Amino acid sequence: MAFNFNWSPLTADADFYKRAQEMLTTALNKSPKPPIIVDDILVNELNLGSVPPELEILEIGDLAEDRFRGIFKMCYSGDAFLTLKTRVQANPLNTYLFSKPSFTSPQPLAASSGLTIPLQITLSEIKLSAFIILVFSRQKGLTLVFRNDPLESLKVSSTFDSIPFVRDYLQKEIEMQLRTLMMDELPAIIHRLSLRLWCPEHSAKEDQEMEAKKPEEDEVVVDPFGSPPQDAVDARGNVLDASEISSMTLDGGSEIHSLFSQKNLLRLATLTDSQRTLSLFTPSIRDAVFRAWAGPSERSDSAGSSTPATPSLMRSHSSVGSTSTTYTFNRSSDDGQGHIPSRPSLVSMHSATTGLGLGAGRHSRSHMRKKKTRVVNLRRTKTTDDLTSESGESETASIVAVSEPVAPTHIEEEPEDNIITPPHSPSQRVRFRTSSIDLGDSPRKLRLSTSEPIVDHLPVEEPSVPIREQRPAYTSFSTYTQEKFSNSAPLHYTPAPVLSDTSSAAGSIIEQAWVMKMASEIARRAQDEKATSQGFWSRDEREETPPPAYAPKAN
Amino acid sequence: MLEFMDYVQHAFYNASHWNFENSYSQLTATARALLEFETPRGLCLNVSSLSSPNFATSYAIGSVGLVDGSLSYLYTSLPLHTTSKSGDIDLHKVIRGYRQIQELRKPDESWMWEQWQGGRRVDKRDTLLYGRLYLPQSTLEALYLRRMSPTQQLKLSAVSDSRLRNGGTILALHQYDVGKYSAETLYSTDGGLIGVRGLYNFGPDPRKEVTEAPRTEDKFYGRFSAGAEMYYGSLNKSGGVSFGGRFATLPAHKGVPLTATLTLNPLMGNLSTTYAVRAGKNLALCSKFDFNVYSYESDVMLGCELWRMKARVPKKKERSMAAKLEWRLDPEEKNPVPEPEIVAGVLKARVDQNWKIGLLWEGRIKELLFTLGSSIDMKRKDQPFRAIGLELQYSS
Repeated sequence: MAFNFNWSPLTADADFYKRAQEMLTTALNKSPKPPIIVDDILVNELNLGSVPPELEILEIGDLAEDRFRGIFKMCYSGDAFLTLKTRVQANPLNTYLFSKPSFTSPQPLAASSGLTIPLQITLSEIKLSAFIILVFSRQKGLTLVFRNDPLESLKVSSTFDSIPFVRDYLQKEIEMQLRTLMMDELPAIIHRLSLRLWCPEHSAKEDQEMEAKKPEEDEVVVDPFGSPPQDAVDARGNVLDASEISSMTLDGGSEIHSLFSQKNLLRLATLTDSQRTLSLFTPSIRDAVFRAWAGPSERSDSAGSSTPATPSLMRSHSSVGSTSTTYTFNRSSDDGQGHIPSRPSLVSMHSATTGLGLGAGRHSRSHMRKKKTRVVNLRRTKTTDDLTSESGESETASIVAVSEPVAPTHIEEEPEDNIITPPHSPSQRVRFRTSSIDLGDSPRKLRLSTSEPIVDHLPVEEPSVPIREQRPAYTSFSTYTQEKFSNSAPLHYTPAPVLSDTSSAAGSIIEQAWVMKMASEIARRAQDEKATSQGFWSRDEREETPPPAYAPKAN
Repeated sequence: MLEFMDYVQHAFYNASHWNFENSYSQLTATARALLEFETPRGLCLNVSSLSSPNFATSYAIGSVGLVDGSLSYLYTSLPLHTTSKSGDIDLHKVIRGYRQIQELRKPDESWMWEQWQGGRRVDKRDTLLYGRLYLPQSTLEALYLRRMSPTQQLKLSAVSDSRLRNGGTILALHQYDVGKYSAETLYSTDGGLIGVRGLYNFGPDPRKEVTEAPRTEDKFYGRFSAGAEMYYGSLNKSGGVSFGGRFATLPAHKGVPLTATLTLNPLMGNLSTTYAVRAGKNLALCSKFDFNVYSYESDVMLGCELWRMKARVPKKKERSMAAKLEWRLDPEEKNPVPEPEIVAGVLKARVDQNWKIGLLWEGRIKELLFTLGSSIDMKRKDQPFRAIGLELQYSS
C-alpha cells in the first residue's frame, strides 16, 4: 500500500495564497495583542516553499475512498517563510504604562511619548516536529490536530536585528504567539480551507452564514436546539460544520447536547472560577435559571422536567474542571472525530468511579494551570454516562468491549449509535433499550437496577440537598452525586440514579408522580440521616467542589 | 472637574504649605487641563462629605458597563477648614483650566513647625491617609501622604487588584522642594522602576531677601523653569528620559498672561510644544504641536476654555429701620463695591488633526456640581458621538 502526498498542487493554486493570507491575517488579529503592537498585523508574504514535510505514518484508524483517519509523525525543515507587517511602539516606557493603573503610575511628563515604527518580520527556517492526528472525510472536511507542541525552532528576522534586546524580545513573543496559532488556530483554518476546497456547497453556506451574521455581530445565541452555535465543537473539541449539526438535530440524537459554543463554555468556566474565588463577577448566561433565583415551587417543577437537560449540565461542569487534559485526544488516540475512547475491556462500576475520582481530584490543580481556550474535552465518556443513567449499563459496556476488536474501528457516520447515551426522551429511551437488548443484557440490568435498596442511595445524594429541606433536589442529583461521590467515598457507592432511570423510562404520569414522591421521601430521609451523621459529612463536604449554582432551563 | 477627594487633598497641600505646582510633572499642567481633559462616560454620581475637619468620605456610583461604584475614605491629621459644600465651593478651585503660576514662596523654616509643651517637642508630622475600593472590580487604592519636613514630602500609593501582576503595585515618591528648585525620586515595584525628576526655576531665589523690586514694566514679566526626568526599569532594563522648559508670566505681568512649554524626549526623538494664552478675562486658548524626528509623525491639537459668568443678582435695597425712624432716606453709598461675578459654567473644547472633538460643560445647578461631556469623532460619519457622559457631585 502506498500513499502519494502532493505538496506542489497545493501551492499551484493561485488563489490559495491569497485565501491563506486572509485567514492568517484574521487569525493573527483575533487574539488580544500585546501593547507593544499598535496596529493590525498584516500577512505580507506567505510561501510554503518547495520542500515538503516528512511524514511518517504511525497509525491508520480508518481508510476508505472518502474518509481517512490516521496519526502521523511530521518533521519539517523546509524553506517556507512568512512575512508580517505591523507597527510597534518603540518606547518601552509607553508600553510599560499601558496596562498599569493610573493611580500608581509615575506619570512621566514626556518620557513616555510614543514612537511607532513600522516593523517587518520574516519568519523562516521553521523547524517543526509533531504528532498529527488527521481526520478526513469528504463531507466533513479535513481536521488536523497537533498532539504536542509542534514548533521546534524558527528564525525571526526583523527590522531591529541590530538591537539584540529587541531581537530577543521579538523572538520570544513571536514564538509564543506562533505556538498558540499552531495549537489553536491552525486546525480551524485548515478545516475551513478544506471545506472550501472539497465541499463547494459549504462555502456557499458559509457565505450565507457570514452574511447573516454580519448584522448581529455580538452573537449571544445559546440555545443549542434552536440554532446551533457558530463555532460549534463536539465533545472532543473538533470543529463541527453546519451540515453535521443539522444532521444531528434531525436525528434528535444525544449529540446535540455536546454542541456548545466555545463562548458559552468560556462563560461557564468563568462562572465556576468566580464561585471558587472571591471574584464578584458573574458572567451572564442566557436561558439559564440560577438556583438562587428560582423559587421552591419552580424548582421542583424544573427538577421534574429537566432531567433530559441534566447530562449537558454535568458535562459542562466536568469540562470546566478538566480543561487541562483536553487536547490529547484520548488515551487510545485513534479516534479523532468525536468518538468515545475504546471502551475499557472490563469496566466495573468501581473502576469507573475511581477514574472519575481522579479527575475530580485534579480539579484544584488543573484550575491553577493556564487554561487553553479552545479546549473542549467534555469528558463525555462512557463512564460518566453510565454513572448518570444506571448501573446495569456498565455491565453492557463491558460486554460490548469484550465483543469488540482490540483496536476498534468505529464507523464514522453514526457515532451516536455507538455510544450508549443517557436517556433523554422516551423515544431515545426506546432506542437505548433495544441496544441493550441486542446485547442480551437487559435481564441482568433490570435485576440490578431494581434490586438496589433505596436506602443505599441516601448517603450518595445527601450532599445535593444543601439548604432547603423540602426540595427534591432532583436536578443536581445525577450530575452531582458522582462528583461528590467519587471524591469522597467510593466505597459507599451504589449505582446512584435509579430514580432518573425510572423517571425517564416511565414517561407515564403515574410513574412520574411516584418518582416525585420517592424523591421527596429520599430527600426527607437524607435530611434525617444528615442530622444523625452530621460530623462525618460535614467533614467531607469541605473538600468537595461546590455544586453548580445553576440549573438548566426547563424546556 | 476635580473629584472631591482630590479637592480635599489639594486643601491638605495648601494647609501644609506645600507647593503642588512646583514640580517637573506639573510643567505642562495648563496644556493638560485645556487639551487633555477627560470626558465623562455614562452617568456618574458622587456623594461626598467632609464630615469633620479630619475625615472625609465619598461614594460614587456609575453606569459604565453595568453598575459600578466606589467607596473612599480619607483621614488627615491636619484639620482642614475648607469649604466642602458643593453649593459654596468656588468653581475656580475645582475646575482645572488655565493655571496661573504664582510667585515662589519661601518655604517654612523647620523651627516654625516646632511645638513645645513642658520643655518637650510635641509637634507631629502631618499625615493623610486615603483608601478607595472599587466595587465590582474589587480594586483597592491606598494613599499615604506625609509631610516629613517643610521641604519634604513622602507619598506612597498602592493599588491592589487581582488582575495585576503580583496582585498589585506600590509607588513610593519622595519630593523635595525648596522653591528655587525641586527634586523628586520615585520607585515603583512594578518592573522595579526608578525615577528622578528635577525642576529648576530661574530668577530670584525666594529664600533670600529680595533686594530689588520686580521689573514689571518689561515686555514680559515671568519666570523660566527648566527640568528633566529620567526613568530606569531595573527589572526590564528599559528606561526613558525627557527634558522640558516652560516660560510663564507671573500675576504681576501687565500684558496677556501666557504659558509656553517645550518638552523633548531625546531617546524617542519626540518634541512637543504647547502655547497657551489667556486671551480675555474668561477665555483661554491653547495649542499643542508634537513632532517626532525619527518617524516624522506629527500631531496638532487646539483647545479653548470659556468661562461663562453671571452677575450676582443685586440685593433689593430696603430702607433701614434707623432711616425710617428719622424720616429720611438712606445715604447713598459712595463707590459701591461691585459684587463679584459668579461662575455660571465653563465650556471646554478641543480638536485635533483627526477631527476628534472633545466637549465639556462644567458648572453648578443648585447644590450639584455637574460635568457634561462628549467626545465626537467627525471621521466616522455614521456614529460621530463616541461617548456622552454626565457626572454629578454633591458634597456637604
